[in-house]
Amino acid sequence: MDAFRIVISGVGGQGTLLASRLLAEASINAEMSVKIGETYGMAQRGGPVMGHIQIGGTINNPQIRKGEADVLLAFEPAEATRRGITYLKKNGLAIINSRPTAPVEVISGMIPYPKLNELKDLLKKVSDNLYYFDATKLAEKAGDAIATNVVMLGALSASGVLPFKEETLITTLEKSLHPRHLELNLNAFQLGKQAFKTLL
Amino acid sequence: MSHPVTYNEPGKRVILMGNEAIARGALEGGITLASAYPGTPSSEIGDTFSRVAKEMNIHFEWSSNEKVALEVAYGASMVGQRTICSMKHVGLNVALDILNPITLRGVKGGLVVVSTDDPSQHSSRTEQDNRWLGKLNDVPVIEPSSPQEAKDFTKYGLELSERVKLPVIIRTVTRLSHMRSDVELGQISKLERKPEFDWVGFSYRVAGFEKLFRRHKERHGKIDSVQEEFETLEFNEMKKNGKERIGVIGVGFSFTYVKDSIDKLGLGENIAWMKLVTTNPLPEQMVTDFVEDLDVVLVAEEVDPFVELHVKALAKDVNPEINLLGRLSGDIPREGELSHEIIDEKISEIMGIEFELENRSGLEKTKENLLFDRMLTMCAGCPHRSSIYALKKAVKEVKGDLKNIVVNGDIGCYGLAHAPPMEFEDTYFCMGASIGVSQGMQKFGIDTIAWIGDGTFFHAGIPALQNAVHNGHDIKVVVADNSAIAMTGFQTNPQMGRTATGEKVDPIMIEDIARASGVKHVEVVDPYDLEATEEAFKRMLLAEGVAMVIARRICAAVAIREMRPNKPPIYTVDQDKCIGCKICLNTYGCPALIWNEQTGKASIDTTLCMGCTSCVQVCPVGAISRGEK
Repeated sequence: MDAFRIVISGVGGQGTLLASRLLAEASINAEMSVKIGETYGMAQRGGPVMGHIQIGGTINNPQIRKGEADVLLAFEPAEATRRGITYLKKNGLAIINSRPTAPVEVISGMIPYPKLNELKDLLKKVSDNLYYFDATKLAEKAGDAIATNVVMLGALSASGVLPFKEETLITTLEKSLHPRHLELNLNAFQLGKQAFKTLL
Repeated sequence: MSHPVTYNEPGKRVILMGNEAIARGALEGGITLASAYPGTPSSEIGDTFSRVAKEMNIHFEWSSNEKVALEVAYGASMVGQRTICSMKHVGLNVALDILNPITLRGVKGGLVVVSTDDPSQHSSRTEQDNRWLGKLNDVPVIEPSSPQEAKDFTKYGLELSERVKLPVIIRTVTRLSHMRSDVELGQISKLERKPEFDWVGFSYRVAGFEKLFRRHKERHGKIDSVQEEFETLEFNEMKKNGKERIGVIGVGFSFTYVKDSIDKLGLGENIAWMKLVTTNPLPEQMVTDFVEDLDVVLVAEEVDPFVELHVKALAKDVNPEINLLGRLSGDIPREGELSHEIIDEKISEIMGIEFELENRSGLEKTKENLLFDRMLTMCAGCPHRSSIYALKKAVKEVKGDLKNIVVNGDIGCYGLAHAPPMEFEDTYFCMGASIGVSQGMQKFGIDTIAWIGDGTFFHAGIPALQNAVHNGHDIKVVVADNSAIAMTGFQTNPQMGRTATGEKVDPIMIEDIARASGVKHVEVVDPYDLEATEEAFKRMLLAEGVAMVIARRICAAVAIREMRPNKPPIYTVDQDKCIGCKICLNTYGCPALIWNEQTGKASIDTTLCMGCTSCVQVCPVGAISRGEK
């Protein structure tokens, strides 16, 4: 069997690394091998973050080849285009948080943030299979913007492409997340799921 | 929740990062002491130990620098303990001075040194290949290709070290240190050895000076015995049926690109391959067996042609006609890490097969024009930003022009002082160098500021400071003291008053060290008080002799964590008072400040702001204040 390949992209502080780890834990709970390659450098300070996750298969290297990701899970629209153009396979599935996180130069008025439709139009040249929604807003609705990563996982799960059952992912959330934050996160997961279904 | 490296369930599969797997391997190898100095991409090895050391009943410490870390490990080895010492590649330059005598005198308890190299300089000033340092000192070098091997080889490294009485280097690269995969656990080993100094092995008094001192020949004997062991070691693998004309040697982590490429291209029986993980000493017979009847051999390794050069020398005798391809031949770029693209292309080229990826270069170009870079910046509320802001004002006033002084920076978050909008740092080199290089400039009348952090000061700043006092170099030193080793993930240093495992200890204060070293002018200020800080910097610039200001304020990231569950006080910009001058944005530039193009006014992102009040002091019209508007 070929590996199932997911590229996760976002900005330092958005919880992309935790999302990767939860997917990895779920894979191992489903008795599948998994490899994660992460590039974060000094991401805590607002830099771009990217994770490559490959589930199953007989691969050795954690990096996904250009144009071979089955799924792009993007926590930020500019980062979606940045990584999608490079890694998403032709007509691969992209689930994208539409809430922008501007860099310092944009915030301080030095340069503009690209228009959302320009970002989207460019990514469309790689795939028509794009799903944009405001995941941060749903996380806030669940109780805390920090749960954006779990909203994204909910949407990914609802897409039905993951090579393991949704229960496995939910059990993994229950086992791995702090009990104090569990209810909020499970709620965020459901909101992500619903959001994806309404986009279909 | 306990850390997966502590599970004593042999056969269980858990997700581990390469660095965590190394820590686990050391626990399976029965270490009783681990030491380290933080530095990307090595830090998680020590971070893991700092979390589990108490539970596993071992000693772990963040030492003051890599040399001290290795000395501590060696001391434990001499009394029979198994130990591991980890550092980033450039850290081994610092520790090299002790690594050399260790290789000559030998070890007692197994000693593994981990060097995490950083091809492509993801977070380092150099992509130095530390295999040369192993070769330089006859140290066995083993290069795992996966987290599983990182664990297994670390354990083996401890056993090998103890058997042949040489330290062993486990060499990783960033991609391996930071990758995660499922790892099958082995048995945790608890060696409860009675600590005993090996008098016969190490004591001049007992063994005699001559016997211990000249041991180069003995070291050669040891490394030769390691080579013999490596010749048949099962960690190296070879696939060859005698019919192939072309072969590839994948070295350590580079093997993963090679194997995946062979599988992807469906080359199966048509290409020979070798996974080589013991790179010093090279198993020459095994490599000879591989290359002697092939026409073409590609060597894939990171970063230097370390193996390729050796294969070339071997081939001269056994297969002079061979077409040897790699970094040396120019078939693989001489610098930087490998990638699927590089290896897929090269292997398909030598195999004479078509392999074309979808060409997206046009889209990539459009993307580059559309997108911005996310430049690194200091965090909202970072005390370093306030220090630099005050320093610039002080220099302008005392020196007239910002270019009348050279700012020699150092290694840490504060090294971002060169980035806009601060742009007030000219150089940085290696740990502690800010204080040293400033002295040579100052001697010839070039005014300087040494800009160094608290952790870096302890690492290598102290001897340089004492040199300045002793030799009369009138340098000015600013210690950007955020009381944290922030850049690598909040490890400890001697001023913090607690150890890696959370024990309370007496803090060693930088001002006490400076005064004891003969620095007459020492001041400590809070950089959140911009005016007081600026005044202190002015006094420093005007002072006679070596002068130091310690700008001390806890790292904003730590401060926010310590506030929890409380949130920082809210500060807002009064939109009626704001005149849109952008001084707060262009001269201070905190990422919590937002510019609104429509209204032409600034505001504050309350989710990022941590209430440091610096921008309140920067605003020329007093538009920023505490509380919601």
